[in-house]
Amino acid sequence: MELTIERLSKRYGQQWALHQLSLRLSPGLLGLVGPNGAGKTSLMRMIATLLSPTEGTIYWNGQDIHTHGQAFRQVLGYLPQDFGVYPEFTGRQFLRYLAAMKGLPSSLIHRRVDEVLSIVNLEQEADRKLPTYSGGMKQRIGIAQALLGDPELLIVDEPTAGLDPAERVRFRTLLASLTHNRIILLSTHIIGDVEAVANRLVILREGHVLSDTTPEALLARTAGSVWSVTVDQATAMQLQANYQVSTMVNQMSGITLRIVSATRPHEAAVEVSPSLEEAYLLATSRQAVQV
Amino acid sequence: MTTIVHARSDRRITTTQRSYPLLNVLIWELRRFRASRLFWFQALGVFCFLLFLTWALHASEGYDTMSNNVQISAFVAGTSAGGLLRTLPTVLVVLVLFLPFVTADGVRRDLSRRTHELLMTTALPTWAYVWGRYLAGLLMSLGLALLLLASILGMGGLLHLTVADYPLPQTGAVLLLWVGMVFPATILVSSFGFALSTLLPRLSTLVKVVILVAWIVGALVIPRGLGNTTPPAWYVNWDPTSGITALGLLPSYSLHLGPWITSEAQLQQLILTIENKMPDLAGWFAPHLLLAGLSLVLVLVAAFAFKRSRDVLN
Repeated sequence: MELTIERLSKRYGQQWALHQLSLRLSPGLLGLVGPNGAGKTSLMRMIATLLSPTEGTIYWNGQDIHTHGQAFRQVLGYLPQDFGVYPEFTGRQFLRYLAAMKGLPSSLIHRRVDEVLSIVNLEQEADRKLPTYSGGMKQRIGIAQALLGDPELLIVDEPTAGLDPAERVRFRTLLASLTHNRIILLSTHIIGDVEAVANRLVILREGHVLSDTTPEALLARTAGSVWSVTVDQATAMQLQANYQVSTMVNQMSGITLRIVSATRPHEAAVEVSPSLEEAYLLATSRQAVQV
Repeated sequence: MTTIVHARSDRRITTTQRSYPLLNVLIWELRRFRASRLFWFQALGVFCFLLFLTWALHASEGYDTMSNNVQISAFVAGTSAGGLLRTLPTVLVVLVLFLPFVTADGVRRDLSRRTHELLMTTALPTWAYVWGRYLAGLLMSLGLALLLLASILGMGGLLHLTVADYPLPQTGAVLLLWVGMVFPATILVSSFGFALSTLLPRLSTLVKVVILVAWIVGALVIPRGLGNTTPPAWYVNWDPTSGITALGLLPSYSLHLGPWITSEAQLQQLILTIENKMPDLAGWFAPHLLLAGLSLVLVLVAAFAFKRSRDVLN
């Protein structure tokens, strides 16, 4: 299975949200990151056939998804960034409803709904009305509905936004368990989510692919560019004004900064191992300098 | 920590065995309404209100005459054929006030509720989605119209048992007027509301307001404005609100009171022979049904014009 995106562009008025973007996706989890307005949601919605591209084509196993939409949607699972539910339904009824809309044979609907409820660990709450669900439970119902048709392509757009840390970890683990023989496209601006589960990382910025790499390669490229230094408050302010500071912690001995910089920012700074978030900051700031 | 059950099933689930997508949408939409307690409360409220309205209009018109210097009075029963021609356009306005809220948002509400994206990324065919939503709304609207029929027959029966000289409603005549006036009006308003709201989702509230105002003008304002003027035959036949249609049919239910009437019982008997006459179907019955059928074309246009993919994000 393969999803190929060829010179995809999307323009709103005079503004290009995506411009000449090309990607080829094979089974595994691809993390799509980028600042707000980078074009992530536009890309996701175009792949989900919800948004028409201005230019370019998306192919699923060699077939244009916009001309073979019906067939493509049979292998698609989609969890939007923000979705609504029918308040009249319980979680189980909602999933059965969507299973019927997805065209699952009626003999299979009950079994499959039970399976996905088990996957997202919602069996106990399945017969509660949806408005009584917490944000995390609603997200799990979202992923459950995306899995109903056992999709070959799973698109999840900002799935952990608004979740508490425990729910986020649970959700990431769940995503990681789904990667076998499936393409998962995870859009997020929380780098920690990608670091935990993605085997490929695409950084988008202003509608272009800034970097198409793996988390390990991006970390390797950042080696030697992250520094730690403990200084007084005045120096800390000065460093913050001149460098990309990733963390800033007040301690008894002063303020400890982690700085992302290609050069040593201060004579007392020591080189430290980068996190993926810092690698991402460096990648996007390099681009900013080039721009 | 939560145990994660691995999602992969050994064989892929096939979703190609879809046999009746329209039926699927229709049945599940009706199940959704059935699951809503508010929906049942609303239906009960509408039924009670229609019963009250039928009761309030049970003496739709009164006749007075003098005999030996004594005033004699009698009334036309609101649930008789003649009485219904006087009251049904007004009662129909009340029904029409509810209909756009039942049908118009069948598709549009998915957009505002953000369930649209979940549905549009399924393999559900577009035509099945739009027509399924429309038919579900239409069935519920027809359910309300049936409540109107039940309220006429039920309250008519109750009035017959409790009010002196009140005739039992003639089921045939009531059914005929329901099929010729209420049934097509229900389809017409449902189709217009649904199609326009689907085509112009951002103007859904305006669509409802325009339909309601147009109906009130057609059913109540224009007939009163005409006064004693005879409306043209084409207007009588093609008026979807039935306000003018009723005006055109009423002359055959008029009474000529003379000095031979000497008692209330005699007057009431005379009214009874006239008020339960079967209405003349010539001219208006088929055009009303035709209008309802034509309104389905608008739903067809909405289904064709409906786009799963949008040009903008929201």
